[in-house]
Amino acid sequence: MSDEKSALLVVNELATTFATAGGPLPAVGGVSFELGYNETIGVVGESGSGKTVLARTIMGLQPRTNVTVTGSVLLEGHEMVGVSEEEKRALWGTEVAMIFQDPMTSLNPVQRVGKQIDELLRVRLHMPKAAAKARAIELLEMVGIPSPAERYHAYPGQLSGGMRQRVVIAIALAGSPKLLLADEPTTGLDVTIQAQILNLLDRLKEELAMSVVLITHDLGVVATRTSRIIVMYAGRVVEIGSTREVFGAHRMPYTRALLESSPKVTNDPHTRLVTIPGRPPNLLKLSEGCSFAPRCSYATDQCHKERPTLQPADEPGHAFACWHPLPKTRKRTVTT
Amino acid sequence: MSNFGQFYAEEEIIHVEKPEKREPLGILFWVCVGWIGLNIIGAIFANVLPLINPLTQNYNALNAGPSLHHLFGTDDLGRDIFSRVVYGSRISLSVGAGAMLIGFGVGAPLGMLAAYRRGRFDSILTNVMYVLLAFPAIIATIAILSFWTPRSLLKIIVVIGVASIPLVYRVIRTATLSVATKDYVIAAKVQGATDRRILFRELMPNVAPIAISFLLIGVATVIALEGALAFLGLSVLPPTPSWGNMINESRTILQQNPWLAVFPSLAMILFLLSLNFIGDRLRHHFDVTEVKL
Repeated sequence: MSDEKSALLVVNELATTFATAGGPLPAVGGVSFELGYNETIGVVGESGSGKTVLARTIMGLQPRTNVTVTGSVLLEGHEMVGVSEEEKRALWGTEVAMIFQDPMTSLNPVQRVGKQIDELLRVRLHMPKAAAKARAIELLEMVGIPSPAERYHAYPGQLSGGMRQRVVIAIALAGSPKLLLADEPTTGLDVTIQAQILNLLDRLKEELAMSVVLITHDLGVVATRTSRIIVMYAGRVVEIGSTREVFGAHRMPYTRALLESSPKVTNDPHTRLVTIPGRPPNLLKLSEGCSFAPRCSYATDQCHKERPTLQPADEPGHAFACWHPLPKTRKRTVTT
Repeated sequence: MSNFGQFYAEEEIIHVEKPEKREPLGILFWVCVGWIGLNIIGAIFANVLPLINPLTQNYNALNAGPSLHHLFGTDDLGRDIFSRVVYGSRISLSVGAGAMLIGFGVGAPLGMLAAYRRGRFDSILTNVMYVLLAFPAIIATIAILSFWTPRSLLKIIVVIGVASIPLVYRVIRTATLSVATKDYVIAAKVQGATDRRILFRELMPNVAPIAISFLLIGVATVIALEGALAFLGLSVLPPTPSWGNMINESRTILQQNPWLAVFPSLAMILFLLSLNFIGDRLRHHFDVTEVKL
């Protein structure tokens, strides 16, 4: 793993537990990873695997009650866990920003989009009104919105979904954050618009030298745009490594199952999609062993009794949590 | 920044529609607004308008029917009903405005704060309000006004206003709750917006349409409540006219002079109907479908 200096974000044994009527629910159970400067990391997993909670916990966004967070999140040396709202507020927007899943609900419907962008500029960066407006228009242009000076005065309801997500990105970038958390930024959009938005994020990341945490359940999204991938299952990291390794030389059967269940262009017509049998475990009733064991064809008694920890694979930085990893190979071809 | 050209949105049809043409408010809406306006003007300028003094008793025309001199006729003491209806609107309107000022002044900020803060503050306050709501407002106001003497307009406004606080609180809290969990509020928060900014910039404008239409309906409810109290003789003391106490006075002479019952009732009905209609139309107009009042 890289040393502290070169890491923008250091997440260490981060765990988020909700107190529910049915008992403690470990939505995120001990996640550790680092993210360097100008790096994009992908977080993939099924619905309910703790991706969104992970993003919100990194951000320091928790409901005011019924939640316990342990571990640490260091953002450029600033601790985000267990600090006051004021301390987090100083970092929000200018150090770390977040874009949400649904552009339909992430803009205030009764405020002009321009105002929503220059809010941060004026209030946090103390820009004069005219300069803030000029900068807001510049940001709108940067995210590829045609005639930005006119769109500055538009209400969110006058824009399409793709346009709104561009505005959301412009808002997130207003404070020139070093880290951008993108929580399924394209799920609410049409497929063609999805690609545009992802390309836009890619380009902005390069231009502004940001680091991005890209959360998605769509492996196709992370395949070409990330340098590393975290595979999550039941709130835990089950495999982490460079994108190439995770796709080509994954060792965890769950990763394989995930990859196999995405449709491929090369498939014959009418090929049945491979599915993972069973369903994600109930987080309230996690077993002692590997959470994936009940759905895993390789599972043995050990898998049901002992939880595997992350162990390093051959390539540095690649690790997996499995008692019976798939054999080492380079160029693993995923067959259906 | 011309090199960004190739990244411009490829959606050829950019949906920058003209702001949607909303359903027009309709002529009836404006008639209602006009009627409310007329009532307000009448109430404010009653003593400068060429009206017969509502307290002057004309013994030559007791229980007279409508005529050119007395448009609505006179009551059993020979007082002009038209001018008494106009003066009576002062009481109804002050109670409507004053009580809602108290109700919204206290209930709305508390409701917004509770919905935004949540936690113990919210649960304690909400439960207290629900206990207050469980007690019928009309019984409570009757009880308090019976013992809080001498009666005055101000006391009536205060009692009705306080009784309306839990109602306003509940509506505003529910409305805020549905807004406060929206992504754009969280988005504003992670932009580093302070709580005050979120309350005023994000929550308030989104709660306002609901608040306005509830305000109009609230004014109507409160005026009806004052009418009920007046009918029971618990509002302003005679001879000051109010719509409610005029209806009360007409009770005993209904057979000789039905006009005394008809005109104040009509005034009240038309006024309340207009308020309700305006509130309803506005709610449709603002398209408030997420929160049910």
